[in-house]
Amino acid sequence: MDAHRQQLDEWIKEKEVLLVTGGYDHTIKIWQAHSGVCKQTMQHADSQVNALEITPDKHRIASAGYKHIRIYDIHGNNPNPVINYEGVSKNIVGVGFQEDGKWMFTGGEDCSARIWDLRSRTLMCQRIFQVSAPVNCVCLHPNQVELIVGDQSGIIHLWHLKTNHNEQLIPEIDASVQSIAIDSEGNYMAAVNNKGHCYIWTLTGGLGDEPTKLNPKHRIEIHNRYALKCKFSPDSTLLVTTSADQTARIWKTSDFSLIQELKTDSQRWVWDAAFTSDSKYLLTASSDGAARLWSVETGAIEREYSGHQKAITALAFSDQVPLNPQYFYEGSNDPAN
Amino acid sequence: MAFYDNKHWLLSQVRNSFMLFDDTGMCEVVMAGENLAKNLDCSKYDCYPGVEESEDEKDMDHSSDIHPDLEFGIYRSNTAARLKRMEEEQKRNANTMHIKWEPHAAALSEEDKDELFVAKDFRRKKDKREFQSLLTEQLKKYAYLPQNPFQDYAKFDGNGQIGVPTKKFGIFIAMLSPELRNYPMHVVVLTTAKISQLTGLICWKCSIDFPDVTLKESADNYGLFIADDDGEVNWDFPCLDPKEAVAKFGFRFLALVEVEPREQNSPTPPVEEPPIPEEQSQPQSKAQRQLEVDMMRMQGHMKALLFQSFKVHIINRVRSRTEVFLGVSGEKVEIYPVASQRGPFWWSKSRSATYSIDSVVACDLRENKSNNKAVFRLVYDNSGANSSDVSSSLHHQPVTWSCFKHHDFEAEYKVSEEIVQKINLILDSRNSQRRAEYLAIRERKSHRRKSFNFGPR
Repeated sequence: MDAHRQQLDEWIKEKEVLLVTGGYDHTIKIWQAHSGVCKQTMQHADSQVNALEITPDKHRIASAGYKHIRIYDIHGNNPNPVINYEGVSKNIVGVGFQEDGKWMFTGGEDCSARIWDLRSRTLMCQRIFQVSAPVNCVCLHPNQVELIVGDQSGIIHLWHLKTNHNEQLIPEIDASVQSIAIDSEGNYMAAVNNKGHCYIWTLTGGLGDEPTKLNPKHRIEIHNRYALKCKFSPDSTLLVTTSADQTARIWKTSDFSLIQELKTDSQRWVWDAAFTSDSKYLLTASSDGAARLWSVETGAIEREYSGHQKAITALAFSDQVPLNPQYFYEGSNDPAN
Repeated sequence: MAFYDNKHWLLSQVRNSFMLFDDTGMCEVVMAGENLAKNLDCSKYDCYPGVEESEDEKDMDHSSDIHPDLEFGIYRSNTAARLKRMEEEQKRNANTMHIKWEPHAAALSEEDKDELFVAKDFRRKKDKREFQSLLTEQLKKYAYLPQNPFQDYAKFDGNGQIGVPTKKFGIFIAMLSPELRNYPMHVVVLTTAKISQLTGLICWKCSIDFPDVTLKESADNYGLFIADDDGEVNWDFPCLDPKEAVAKFGFRFLALVEVEPREQNSPTPPVEEPPIPEEQSQPQSKAQRQLEVDMMRMQGHMKALLFQSFKVHIINRVRSRTEVFLGVSGEKVEIYPVASQRGPFWWSKSRSATYSIDSVVACDLRENKSNNKAVFRLVYDNSGANSSDVSSSLHHQPVTWSCFKHHDFEAEYKVSEEIVQKINLILDSRNSQRRAEYLAIRERKSHRRKSFNFGPR
């Protein structure tokens, strides 16, 4: 019985570690993160993959591409999407989910951010937020009701979904906002632009219907070329920025000093990055067609994931311990069968 | 085409049918060779002089090898291709649910708003204790996971690729246990890959699917041979040239077999020496070997059991002659290619073949040639090759003529005679049942032929 339990435990753990990459070769690949083996390839026809996200229940993957958001089953062995969200005229560049999976948010080059209802087959409700320039990035505040939208003209918009209240700010004139991130505790917001600069705010408010207030804190020159992505570590102590300068850099949030530069000869533009849930490792996606796993502490490459034929531009990762792993053991749904 | 070696016929193919290459590489051999049209005697006014010499291809007509159903781009109009693509798309989309953004949606009700957009108190501090994520745990567990030497070949995997031409092969892997070996592993590879890269990809897949199999460090240790759909390797052809592009080959089944690693830098091996067979590779002093030889000599025809290597020419199916070493011992008969520049380039990379002496059933002189050379034939039993216990395999498999295959060799008359004598001495000393059966079948066959010949006209 113990052996069986152990086996089951292994099986669950195996399933809960999810690494997904996508890019210019029109495919999405699911990897076994610890071995570097590609477990499944899914087809993303007619478009590159601009962004990837794993659904909160960890059963599906959402990919943002040209005119479509596609949803794939992770465990069904189906190489084709199960749901196709369409009706958008241009590239969709960002996708994410409300934490209970009630709705999905996207941002696109048609100058709008959208909310898609996920509760039923028909779009019972939908919201659209239009801005004056193509949207580059969207980010949901941990309070789940404020959407931060960054656009090509350099404006950052705060859109309160409940009250519809919205605010704008321009951290730097003539610099396109490439990526925005808020840490899971709601302490900081970071935004990076195409000049390689990073702006940090501390956040106040944001409870109930009260809008979040941004208090400027830092301006750092993080890369000397295009910055592409920024993300906080799950424990809020680290910030990673990736860039066209072929590096990813890790910064300490206590004083925003550089603690690690991740680069290797073959690496090209670094488009996306994700921390493991314990903030010990970082995964990156690069134009050289490889994804890499780095140790935050040593800066060494621990694993490499090769298989994509072209640049990898999007990556999604999750290795969170399920909140209630017991449910697997209950009832007739024995996963070992 | 594969078994056709009439140079004029091939030349005509190259000239008139615009066939520049074929699966066997024979066309290239013809094209790369000297100007045949000049050198060959064309005094006969035949379309393909010399064609009547080969009897098995008598019924071959002069038509080219081009068939109308070959999928050349020019036969398909753009519209047809587009239609096909749309149809495929439709098929792909059949199981996908489509949800469309509604441009003129009704305003959101307060009720919906309250349900969907609930502010969460994100300030509830999380458990700050140190913990280990699942990936960290796995990485620790597999900390000493050796770097897979074939990892880089993973990028040639054609599985699930879009818009990139790929090719699918069934691969039989010779290193697997017998029960697994009979099932092909399906490998999809990018057509732009080279054969060496396909070999690496197969090794990569093999190392993942069959972790128990230990593979050599480099893909250079393996070769791909043409195989039948039942996994039988076609030894008549050498392994595919590792430098060639996968796109060139149209075989559905291949076999991965361990071969001698290719020399990377030296195109011509410095010394032409037969490789030492396995049994002899153990260190053995010269004196010891001498003593053994003396003992054997004293024991009369027991000498025949000693390993001896002969330089002969193997006559393969396309009737070309290739120089090989024929190693004969009391245990087995081995064929090693002689690496030299004289033969067609692809033979030099071919793998050696080994036949257990139990599977060899006959060896006879067949033809004395005017140039003091002779042709001899080695017949071996191909059906029970894996089974050491001949009598038990007999039980399941009836002996038929097709169980036996052969190789023809040519050598100096004296050498041929010596080899035939040696092998027959060994065969006689073993008194194998398989050989008795072969001889019986041959006897019957020759009777039948005779009675046919002398029958009423």
